[in-house]
Amino acid sequence: MNIYPKRLMLFGVFITALFFTTPLLAMDGNELLRQVDANMQPQSYEMYRKLINIEPDGSKKEFVLYTVKKGQDKMVALFLSPASEKGRATLRLGDNMWLYIPNVGRPIRITSLQSVVGGIFNNSDILRLDYSLEYDAGELVENEDTYQLELNAKSSSIAYDRLNMTIDKKTIQPLTIECYTASGMLIKSLHYSKIKDFGDGLVRPSVLETDSPLHKGYRSVMLFAKVTKKEFADEVFTLNYMSKVDELR
Amino acid sequence: MSYVSLPARVLLVVLCCFLSASVTLVMADEFNFDLEEIEKSPLNWGGYAEIKFEHIEVEQGSAFSLLNFADKPLSTIDRLGGSLQLDGSYSQELYSFNWLLKMTGQEDDFGWHDTIDFFTAYLNIKPLPSATISLGKKPYKWGKGYAWNPVGFINRRKDPNNPDESLEGYITAELDFIKSFSGRVQTVALTTVILPVYDEINDDFGVQNEINIAAKLYFLVMDTDIDLLLLTGNSRADKYGMDFSKNLSTNFEVHGELGWVVDGPKVIAQEDGSLSQRHENAFSWLLGIRYLSERDVTSIIEYYHNDAGYTEEEMESFYRFAKNAGEDFQQTASNLLLDRAIDASLKGYGRPQPGRDYLYARFSQKEPFDILYFSPALTAIVNLADNSFTLSPELIYTGFTNWEMRLRFSYLEGESYTEYGEKQNSSKLELRLRYFF
Repeated sequence: MNIYPKRLMLFGVFITALFFTTPLLAMDGNELLRQVDANMQPQSYEMYRKLINIEPDGSKKEFVLYTVKKGQDKMVALFLSPASEKGRATLRLGDNMWLYIPNVGRPIRITSLQSVVGGIFNNSDILRLDYSLEYDAGELVENEDTYQLELNAKSSSIAYDRLNMTIDKKTIQPLTIECYTASGMLIKSLHYSKIKDFGDGLVRPSVLETDSPLHKGYRSVMLFAKVTKKEFADEVFTLNYMSKVDELR
Repeated sequence: MSYVSLPARVLLVVLCCFLSASVTLVMADEFNFDLEEIEKSPLNWGGYAEIKFEHIEVEQGSAFSLLNFADKPLSTIDRLGGSLQLDGSYSQELYSFNWLLKMTGQEDDFGWHDTIDFFTAYLNIKPLPSATISLGKKPYKWGKGYAWNPVGFINRRKDPNNPDESLEGYITAELDFIKSFSGRVQTVALTTVILPVYDEINDDFGVQNEINIAAKLYFLVMDTDIDLLLLTGNSRADKYGMDFSKNLSTNFEVHGELGWVVDGPKVIAQEDGSLSQRHENAFSWLLGIRYLSERDVTSIIEYYHNDAGYTEEEMESFYRFAKNAGEDFQQTASNLLLDRAIDASLKGYGRPQPGRDYLYARFSQKEPFDILYFSPALTAIVNLADNSFTLSPELIYTGFTNWEMRLRFSYLEGESYTEYGEKQNSSKLELRLRYFF
């Protein structure tokens, strides 16, 4: 009987093929997305950001924010400058967002599509939670140096219905993200750049730039600094605490 | 030329210094994030300086123009004013001291008028992240409504035309306790406020020599903000209420308030202008939405009902009496009736939105024609009982860092013996320039 060695050989080829293809098959889109999240920020941290809105004539307006995040769905950002915005705080708990303005003296609910700073960044860009919390992975395409991952919003409360994320294979961090409406219209593109060592093992892009076909000639840039692991009490992420966020610095 | 007092001159000089020193705009290098910008100091301070010009067309012969200008009838008023707000805090690990000082001054056909007040001055002690004790003068803004707050039991009354302005606080002792959970109930917070009323201490709140307690219990449950509120004490009638707010989608929010006043006092003017007071239970409630359209138009619409307000007949009766009193003063120089009408105005009829049913609507367009930081808006307040209204288009530009420019025109319309038909003004043009520092 010579059929046995043939079967054995076929089985061997199958096992070998399976062994060598395992890393690709295992690179499930959702797992890849979780890796992207883990590589971009610790679970709980504080950081400083500068937002720069740039008009077609080159004039700029800058905002500096202090931000703290805990777990997957708790985040609060405090405006440190300019003086006209100083003391404003935005809080996000899952799908809920609030804005506190010192003169108004109480938090008001805001929606993710509004923008508290003007320009191209909206509230969901400023209070962005983990991608894996808001999106399910769709089609994953592997290129030579990058992955192309399509993401679909888990619910209608997410600001963008669909994302197309280009991920650097080497660092497993996003390079560009295109944001689309449900109808397929491109709303904006986000571009990460300038990889920086923030310490404590966190090496990630320090610049995020965005443009939009809806606002031709306008750009908004976000610069990251002092991204540091830090633990916070849950009570920090509540309406009653919004006027006291500066005390965390 | 009117006499201008020394404090007024000082205020004007300070305002001019702030405004002129800040004209130079500094352009930072592209993509430069200097860490000195984020250094924290225990002492934090800021504020704004403001200059405002108003041109007012007086509704001659209206009830309130007669009450206010019976001895000096005017057809227009031009007013130049300024204000300076200085706010700040000094923080250490467990405590912080917060203050807000407001100075205003204005010159118009009636001369110079100025004020200086500490709106806020309180000590915060924070022994735990979940507990805060506050002692001192602090403003309260309870409620979810944008234009009105039926559950704002210890709020100062805000101006629906400028609801975002800072307001003077009350001297209180407050304990705030927060607890977070995972599950359907995400947050529970209890705010308890002791508000004493004595001579020189909160004496405009109500009956003196009393200690009042107000409390607000907040829940974040199933992505909905819910507050249960109460005020008890002998300075004012007991009040109970609840409010809520919820985002129904990424661009649609709904909110509401319900207040219940137990045996609250209401001042009623009789036909001869004498005042009587009766006590009654009253509901007041508000329902509102905030909607962001695909074209970036934010709409805020609120309906407000107040059982404790005056009926259309009660308001008409007051307007008739006030107009007769004003005309009587002009003809006889006797101020007997005029004083009664002014008294009735101060005790209820002259407050903002004294009626029962109102609609508030505000539509603002974010950055039309790709003009960054430019927002035109249109605000309307309608008295639904007598169909009188005020309509205010405005333009706001914040494109120069730390500057805000606002141009607003307010037009009031209503027949005789209606709320907006009997106001002092028929229209107002206002230009406001504000610099933040």
